[in-house]
Amino acid sequence: MKPGEHPRARTGTRPSRSPGRLAWRRLRADRTALITGGIMVALIAVALAAPLIEMLYGIGPSEQFQAELDDFGMPIGPAGGVSGQHWLGLEPGLGRDIFIRLVYGLRTSLVVAFAAAVVTTAVGVLVGLLTGFLGRWTDGVIGAVIDFALAMPFLIVALTVVPTLTQRFYGPRDAVPASFQVFSLVLVFAVFGWAIAARLVRGQVLSIRSREFVDAARVSGAGLGHILGREIAPNLIAPILVSFSLALPAYIAAEAGLSFLGIGILEPTPDFGRMIDRSLGYLQTDPAYVLFPGLLLFVMVLAFNMFGDALRDALDPRAEAGPR
Amino acid sequence: MIRFLLARSARAALTLVAVSMVTYAMFFLLPQDPVSAMCPKNCNAERLDRVRHDLDLDGPTVDGYLGYMKGIFVGRELDSAQGGYCEAPCLGYSYVNNEPVSRTIGRALPVTISIVIPAAALWLAFGLGLGLTSAWRPGSALDRAAVAVSLAGASLPLYFVGGLLLLIFTYRLGVVPVPHYTPLWRSPVDWASGLVLAWLALAFLFAAIYARLSRSQMLETMSEDFIRTARAKGLPPRQVYGRHALRAAITPLITVLGLDIGAALGGTVITEVTFGLRGMGRTAVDAVHTGDLPTIMATVLIAAAFIVIANVVVDATYHLIDPRARAQ
Amino acid sequence: MRRSILVALLATATLILPVAACSQSGSTPGTATASPGSSTMPAEQATDVIATDPAASQGPAAAVAGAEPGGTVTILRKNKISHLDPQRVYSFAGLMNAGLISRTLTGWVDQGNGKLTLVGDLATSTGTNVKGDCTEWEFTVKDGLKFEDGTPITSKEIAYGIARSFDPDLTGGPTYLQEWLAGADYDTAWDFKANMTSLPPGLTTPDAKTIRLTFDQPRCDLPYAVSLPASSPVPPDKDTGVDYDNRPVSSGPYMITDNTPGVQLVLDRNPNWDPATDPIRHQYPDRFVWSFGSDSDAATNRIIADSGDDQTAIAWDGVSAAMVSTTVNDPALQSRSLRADTPSSNRLTINTERVTDLKVRQALNYAINRQGFVQALGGPTVASPTTTIMPPGTIGYQAYDAYPAGATGDPAKAKEVLAGATPSLVLAAGDDSYGQETAAQLKGNLEQAGFTITVKTIPADDKLDETKKRDNPWDIWLDSWAADWPSGAAILPVLFDGRTIKDAGNSNVSLLNDDALNAEFDRIQALPPAQQASEWGPVDQQIMTDFAPAVPLYVDEAYYLHGSKVGGLFVSSVFGSPSFVNAYVSS
Repeated sequence: MKPGEHPRARTGTRPSRSPGRLAWRRLRADRTALITGGIMVALIAVALAAPLIEMLYGIGPSEQFQAELDDFGMPIGPAGGVSGQHWLGLEPGLGRDIFIRLVYGLRTSLVVAFAAAVVTTAVGVLVGLLTGFLGRWTDGVIGAVIDFALAMPFLIVALTVVPTLTQRFYGPRDAVPASFQVFSLVLVFAVFGWAIAARLVRGQVLSIRSREFVDAARVSGAGLGHILGREIAPNLIAPILVSFSLALPAYIAAEAGLSFLGIGILEPTPDFGRMIDRSLGYLQTDPAYVLFPGLLLFVMVLAFNMFGDALRDALDPRAEAGPR
Repeated sequence: MIRFLLARSARAALTLVAVSMVTYAMFFLLPQDPVSAMCPKNCNAERLDRVRHDLDLDGPTVDGYLGYMKGIFVGRELDSAQGGYCEAPCLGYSYVNNEPVSRTIGRALPVTISIVIPAAALWLAFGLGLGLTSAWRPGSALDRAAVAVSLAGASLPLYFVGGLLLLIFTYRLGVVPVPHYTPLWRSPVDWASGLVLAWLALAFLFAAIYARLSRSQMLETMSEDFIRTARAKGLPPRQVYGRHALRAAITPLITVLGLDIGAALGGTVITEVTFGLRGMGRTAVDAVHTGDLPTIMATVLIAAAFIVIANVVVDATYHLIDPRARAQ
Repeated sequence: MRRSILVALLATATLILPVAACSQSGSTPGTATASPGSSTMPAEQATDVIATDPAASQGPAAAVAGAEPGGTVTILRKNKISHLDPQRVYSFAGLMNAGLISRTLTGWVDQGNGKLTLVGDLATSTGTNVKGDCTEWEFTVKDGLKFEDGTPITSKEIAYGIARSFDPDLTGGPTYLQEWLAGADYDTAWDFKANMTSLPPGLTTPDAKTIRLTFDQPRCDLPYAVSLPASSPVPPDKDTGVDYDNRPVSSGPYMITDNTPGVQLVLDRNPNWDPATDPIRHQYPDRFVWSFGSDSDAATNRIIADSGDDQTAIAWDGVSAAMVSTTVNDPALQSRSLRADTPSSNRLTINTERVTDLKVRQALNYAINRQGFVQALGGPTVASPTTTIMPPGTIGYQAYDAYPAGATGDPAKAKEVLAGATPSLVLAAGDDSYGQETAAQLKGNLEQAGFTITVKTIPADDKLDETKKRDNPWDIWLDSWAADWPSGAAILPVLFDGRTIKDAGNSNVSLLNDDALNAEFDRIQALPPAQQASEWGPVDQQIMTDFAPAVPLYVDEAYYLHGSKVGGLFVSSVFGSPSFVNAYVSS
């Protein structure tokens, strides 16, 4: 490919296909997309099948094997206690199995990330559509609300709200189930995340709105509903899909980051961020303990990111860059 | 332009006021009582109540909020236990740190600025450089390598990268001292060597994002009509790329950069925690853990101010550069 | 295992203390400490205590073998010292720093292995019990004492120091003297700010060399109480109120020359300190520097690397559990390690008003797996298991095991005691890593014995306050206790005398209230001081056997690393933290 040459220079004709079909074909042809998509599906499958895996593996996430730790609580055996019984070794201190905890941690991360991504994208799209299309005044108000949401410090609010939410809804003697903890995390993400999606969608709507085909539709007498639904929305699908698929790894990383800072999912529910946070202290004495969750988190986020990229490339032909 | 700026600034000020009110009200939710931080072991309930009342910490009130906000602009009178008169900008007195909050901020803010600004310069240089170079020849080996590196950088958690950098450069190789903050004016070399790992970790993450962003922006711009026109006119490819395409592609990047820097100045918590640096983010998190309301208010307001100002600046720049935006 | 709770858990005595204990000489000398590397330390008995020979209170302090003057000792610590103002000092770091800048009426000569002697520091003796019933104490101030600026230290300045502790603005320090002089509401009983030229009731200075304290009840522990910096002198004309905390005037061998909060605290030699008046301290190094900001792992790595200035440094925050396994077995570090028991004892408190069945409490004691708990914390350098309430090192300590169940516990025996019942208990845990890990450990352990444990997580910063409320809603939780001086009277009655239970800020968190036991406390505290020490051990055992209001778990172990060129450092037998009074730099 010569520099400056247009990547789309082609000759010949083709039977016409809908943009969706074309995108799907491009995606299928992209090897990276196939591999990362496969990884994503595999990870989701593992997360869903966690209890089954536990049954087959024979060890639960809370079981302790302190007899297999030395006096200092360090796992005996290579790479942090890797063995036929414990595929990824044991946690120092409590002596729990790392493999099965990673499997359940995967479940936590994916549930939080998907829920947060769905909610924020849905709300954000709705608001973005409205504001990009209704009058200047609504645009101004919603714009101010978005400003406010983006200026509020996410971390401070999360630190304050998450512990107290549980206090409000659960009595002083009741344990807080993991489901509620997930819910409060998703809530906190949603309160801030919608603004990012809304801003994005608003920008897209504004640029689409000033396009010729919309003017054409309006001139030929189309109503607001038609314009929104028929002209604008279809052009939004691509950016929305891409934003969703890129929001996923962002929320996986964000949830792990919050747990790293001590907010979020508590014991005994396994969680990546908390495991990495604890394992960093053991970087010099039990590096395998850091490597396993870190690597898995990395692979997960990477796969989701790459798939999102591939999806964007498949959906938006103008950004196509030729063979990968 | 002036009208636009005024309107945006007014909106920014309103946002800040809203942020301050909500933060103050959140005090209701905070579990820790700052007064008990004063006497952790020996206070009985009556003495705690008396102290709380004397120092106007009975709970969030409108008066308390107004008093705090007034203090920021003109200073206010504080109890003798808090050091008497507190000059503007008065950010309150922290019982947890036993000092006026402005002193705490005065120490934390330079740390955060020293982390963020050089890191921003680094990530802009590397990110742009990488993204532009790889978009020049899409699909080439360099491009694929660059894409791989930027994807990796954007996917690795910051605390993981930070931990690895620490392990390798400080503990194993010993080429860099344990991260710490020395003011720039005291010793530039010490300042740099104490922060370099934090810069690298932050820059690695953001450069990856900016590489991806600039690459996709350039590719998108390169397929625009006006580029085709420029090429058709016979302009050399380098000039087309470097001048015409770049200028169009750069605007959204500047937007993102401005917003990122604004947000980062509010405190890069994970960086500060990983490297043990006491910047704004770390101060804020510690303040929440101890229920130190004045410090929370101060850090939140300053962070929000940075974000809001960055927004205004970016909007104004956009307004200046992009005629489409002006036409609205 | 890092725990900020460790710092915050020095206890106060109760507000209404019946006849307090008063130890005199008489207990047997202790045994030497165990060698490093063993997983359990044998029981230590503190040797004695109050010096009767006036020569013991005279300086100079015995020379330290191998010590030479000169050099700078650096102390690496993450957080700044919360208070420097002597009347406000109550954290371990503050107390050990006060050892360098704030002299007190009495002080400890500490050999670092349980061999303690209380001597007169600013006073010529450990106090005269004027009437013989501990209601009136008199101290004679030594000659030749000076502040860092050369002004003399007399009884006036010492009394002023005690008086200003009544100021409600100056919070944070211990409240023994205030409460013993003026009752529980001392700051309203005597308004310091309105009465700055006079002294609180009961405190008098008949002349410049005499200070007298008069109480309405016997307070035999007074000599111990004035070993805390609360009795440190303050020049009235230099008292800047809350600002004094930034730059207190020194009476010790070192003075503050730079205080940048969160960054460093620099102490240089005080030229006006006279070693001939001081039986405790030395002035070998030119300078001490507290360097703040590095966390424990960073400091540990610096000390291990032992290069440059770090050769004369000590890492205050100890070695984290994660790093211990490499440092303990490293032969190069053996000579640079300090290891000792501390007086900080940790137990699983049982709320006896909720868990009313003695059998359940006994079953908990049989079920507990102390070895696993210690493993979860990081091993023997972090914690050593204990089956008694008083830690080894307390005067009169006796080892016993009321519920022998082996190192890993006996779930079968517990089930037998429960006779088939499966009680459901709520465990309150902090949301920090210590709270979460220990909760997981306890839950897994106790559920093997048939208990059902619900873990209720609460914010770690709140936990102490919330569990010290009388009507807290939980059944069991982890607690820690470190007495301010190594006497049983500062532990057992404080923790288990039912008459001291308060609605908030309560120390008898087990809510135990037994009349016979309370009478026994009274009986012992009314004994002649020489006889008290040997009485506390049997009471300790009786409490556990008859009531089982807690499950004793472990004693914090001190494990510190220092550079190769600093010597004379030892772990304080009173507070379990590094002491600097004998430190020196070698070339």
